[in-house]
Amino acid sequence: MIPMTHFLVLGAILFLIGAAGVLMRRNAIIILLSIELMLNAVNVTFVGFSRHLADMTGQVFGIFVITVAACEAAVGLAILIALNRDRTMVNVDEVNLLKW
Amino acid sequence: MASSLFFYFLAVVTTVGAIAVVAFPSPLYSVLALILTFLGLAGLYLSLHAQFVAIVQVIIYASAIMMLFLFVVMLINLGREEKRELRLPGQKLLGAIAGLAVFSMLLKVFLSTSLMTGKKGSFPPERVSELGNTQIIGNLLLTDYVLPFQAMGVLLFVGIVGAVVLARRRSR
Repeated sequence: MIPMTHFLVLGAILFLIGAAGVLMRRNAIIILLSIELMLNAVNVTFVGFSRHLADMTGQVFGIFVITVAACEAAVGLAILIALNRDRTMVNVDEVNLLKW
Repeated sequence: MASSLFFYFLAVVTTVGAIAVVAFPSPLYSVLALILTFLGLAGLYLSLHAQFVAIVQVIIYASAIMMLFLFVVMLINLGREEKRELRLPGQKLLGAIAGLAVFSMLLKVFLSTSLMTGKKGSFPPERVSELGNTQIIGNLLLTDYVLPFQAMGVLLFVGIVGAVVLARRRSR
């Protein structure tokens, strides 16, 4: 049996890598991927606690997190496609006008 | 022994994949590295006896969502991210130091708190393997968590409509 702390540390590592990706990269697709990474880090913690506490709620919430991630990916990619149609780039620091 | 080797192998695979997602210059390789990370996470869920979440992770996450990402990457055809001057000198170093600071803080909290070991929930491993993981999740979704479940349905619907509205070609 792996100690619970190992799963928490793995979740923390994945979350921080994702956060670093959001902060350091300029490409909007990689920022979206990093957000997915952070959501998955939370999922590792949820499922780990579900096993540790012998309670299935963590796994049910893992399913909910996956659903939210699917919606977020669909809407985020739609925004990217709309942006790319008006101006051919996806770098977030060049998108600085609220209307065009 | 075997299970801890399995854990460390998968932990290394997921971490390397996650670093590759952030480090690759081309988004296409980042997406492929993220698929590797998600498959490793599915293995971890299996080792935690969360079979349903593991299968959902493989089918929905690593396949469907990542296929959407790959499709968009190939559709809008971006090249590599060009190098540009960073606004702040030593920005990457500062970012790494801040990340390590947060990580050490989390580590200290994890190691110093006791993780609620006294009170256990109502689904110990023997009961889960007797009733079946998927059956329990299905029952919980339609009894205790029926309201969040319905809200998920509304959220998915709004997500579909929003994606179509946003990505639609505007008639001028």
